Amino acid sequence: MAPRDVGCRFLAVLLLASCEAIASSDRMCTEREVNRTYSCGHLGLSELPDTLPNSTEVLEFSFNFLPVIQNTTFGRLLNLTFLDLTRCQINWIREDTFQSHHQLSTLVLTANPLIFLTERAFSGPKSLRHLSLIQTGITSLEFLPVHNLDNLESLYLGSNRISSIQLPRDFPTEKLQILDFQNNAIHYLSRDETSSLHQATNLSLNLNGNDIRGIEPGAFRSTVFGSLNFGGSLDVSLILRGLQNSTVQSLWLGSFVDTDDQHLSRATLEGLCGMSVHSLSLQKHHFSELSSATFQCFSGLQELDLTATHLAELPAGIETMNSLKKLVLSANKFEDLCQIQAANFPSLTHLHLKGNMKRLHLGVGCLEKLENLRELDLSHNDIEEDCCNQQLQNLSHLQSLNLSYNEPLGLQTEAFKACPRLELLDLAFTHLRVRVPESPFQNLPFLRVLNLSHCLLDLSNQQLLDGLPSLRHLNLQGNHFADGSIPQANPLQTVRTLETLILASCALSSIHQEAFRGLETLSHVDLSHNSLTSTSIEALSHLKGIYLNVATNSISLISPRVLRILSQQSTINLSYNPLDCSCSNIQFLTWCKENMPKLEDTEEMRCATPPSLRGARISDVTVSCGITAVGLFLLIVFLFLLVILFIFATRYFLRWKYQHL
Amino acid sequence: MNSATAALLAWTLISVSSRGHGGGEAWPPHTACSAGGLEVLYQSCDPLQDFGLSIDQCSKHLQSNLNIRFGVILKEDIRELFLDIALVMKGSYVLNFSYPICEEDLPKFSFCGRRKGEQLFYAGPVANLGLDIPEGKYQVLLKLYNENRATVACANATVTCS
Repeated sequence: MAPRDVGCRFLAVLLLASCEAIASSDRMCTEREVNRTYSCGHLGLSELPDTLPNSTEVLEFSFNFLPVIQNTTFGRLLNLTFLDLTRCQINWIREDTFQSHHQLSTLVLTANPLIFLTERAFSGPKSLRHLSLIQTGITSLEFLPVHNLDNLESLYLGSNRISSIQLPRDFPTEKLQILDFQNNAIHYLSRDETSSLHQATNLSLNLNGNDIRGIEPGAFRSTVFGSLNFGGSLDVSLILRGLQNSTVQSLWLGSFVDTDDQHLSRATLEGLCGMSVHSLSLQKHHFSELSSATFQCFSGLQELDLTATHLAELPAGIETMNSLKKLVLSANKFEDLCQIQAANFPSLTHLHLKGNMKRLHLGVGCLEKLENLRELDLSHNDIEEDCCNQQLQNLSHLQSLNLSYNEPLGLQTEAFKACPRLELLDLAFTHLRVRVPESPFQNLPFLRVLNLSHCLLDLSNQQLLDGLPSLRHLNLQGNHFADGSIPQANPLQTVRTLETLILASCALSSIHQEAFRGLETLSHVDLSHNSLTSTSIEALSHLKGIYLNVATNSISLISPRVLRILSQQSTINLSYNPLDCSCSNIQFLTWCKENMPKLEDTEEMRCATPPSLRGARISDVTVSCGITAVGLFLLIVFLFLLVILFIFATRYFLRWKYQHL
Repeated sequence: MNSATAALLAWTLISVSSRGHGGGEAWPPHTACSAGGLEVLYQSCDPLQDFGLSIDQCSKHLQSNLNIRFGVILKEDIRELFLDIALVMKGSYVLNFSYPICEEDLPKFSFCGRRKGEQLFYAGPVANLGLDIPEGKYQVLLKLYNENRATVACANATVTCS
């Protein structure tokens, strides 16, 4: 008895083991690109799964378990170009691990507790260009092997305990473009340390999150940088003095919520006079005693970012920023646009002032001195007024205007007459008050992109989109047509150059067959998130080769006529529709099988009817609707019986009739 | 086979199949703070990992600029990071709120830009507004995600104010 019982338990345990094996083989790598790109993250793997093809080029293998990697670990994947081994608990990278991976160009070793890297750890790849050793416990750059890194373009060393940027002797820097030391323990930069970087040209050096307390004078003398980041540094003037005689394309000196910000004054910023900077960011600092003199050393700047610097106004009469091209004043506390004293910046081509902490009033002609302005971003500012000719006076070269996410704007005919060269206009999520039959966009001959999503427009206004002869891209998402239907006569008929039309989430239940008749150049139509049935697709019968998105609608049956229209398009998304998988839709179902490459998001193309197939993927469904031989036989017998019955009935009826004559 | 072993077999099969459905064990509930008439309990709703959070200065008169301590392993890069907060009372959503923490053009915190795989520990202010919490019990859903909508952290919190 007892041994038998044990035997059964053993059987049970075996069964359990086999079930688990099945369960774990379920957790397989995801194929992103056939035979090329695979993602195997978070699977607890301790070796390469057999399912990965030898042709794999891009492998994301993060959050697995590989304490030791050696030449057999990835040996058979000879075509690897990108290998991500983030947090795989790697302690050891043995010699020649990547010996046969000649193509490998990116290796990510972030967050592995590396104990040692041998000189030949990275031998093999002919051009290893990107290497990440973030949070690997490195305390000194001597840890890096020097060999086989001649082609290195970016080296990420963030979140370690490195205290000196001194690269090992003979470390190749000729091709180095990015050297990232974020969040380390670097407090001092000496001339000896920086001299190892002189060979690199146009280097981006990131020292964000290092508390720099000293820079040896001349450490950066005649060095040219692509970008330099000293974010979170506690002493801006110290940094600027240390950078004397250097040339920096982009200098980031911003602060954060969790680091102490500084009160910047004329004295703090004096160091800028001794260096050449193209673009400067001073985010989240304070200015003390702000006057035109504060900016005395800003004359060489082309771009200035003063995001969230607690500004309520800028001083008038700054003479040093005559040649400034781009100014960012977002997330400040202006009340009136005139407080930015635009006359200080006559050469400005780009002005960004978004997310102002107070309601912004645009005033009258506050930007009229900015004759060269090309791009203006005034989004997220709670602006509420009748717009925009007085406010945008004299901006005759403006090409891009962003007024999205504001309070209601009243627009009249020719509301943007002041900026006739507009090419892009974004008004998304700003309620527009337009009276019928006004045409606010009249006379914008160059406008190509117009975003009117969620603007609560009155789309019964036939003249709404008049005067846009070059419009290519129109977004009307989230606006509602009367009765949920686009009639034959609609405002779209006037924009005959349209290529992209977005009518998603417009609560549409029908579209008139002729609604898009004038739009011959459409190539991208998004009708998703409505309640359309397949008959509405007939409005696209005159179009060929377009991208059509009708996801999340009420399409169930698709007639042969509509099928012909779909057949002439290049890509179609029919996901999340209550598709019918019965024999009445058999033509569509067959068409789907034949046109899978044309269909987008096929995973979510599922049957809603009949109940037996509810939730099944269209790609998995096989419906056979032919009549079987037995069925045919029974049908013939049935018809034959019916005919006999009919003859008898007629004879009986006639006899009965004659008998009663 | 006797009935006991049959039962055992059935049990093992059932337990395996229920595990196969991905139910898994939920992460344990943690206390983020409990003092001054306020108790905040939370549970990670990220199936892949738990995270740690504690809130200093716990009180029903919530101060502005609270200090927190937060520790997590990043499953994604956080060059861009957003926080969604949903407040649920008696089963219905009362408030939905979305807030950018890290943006390309405005990295608010020093940890912005850190990479997938890094262990992130943050001890510092959160730049919140002051608030008097009315008495009651609230469900709060918090979700941190990046520009690709990939989850960085997710929490189901219960806030009890008495």
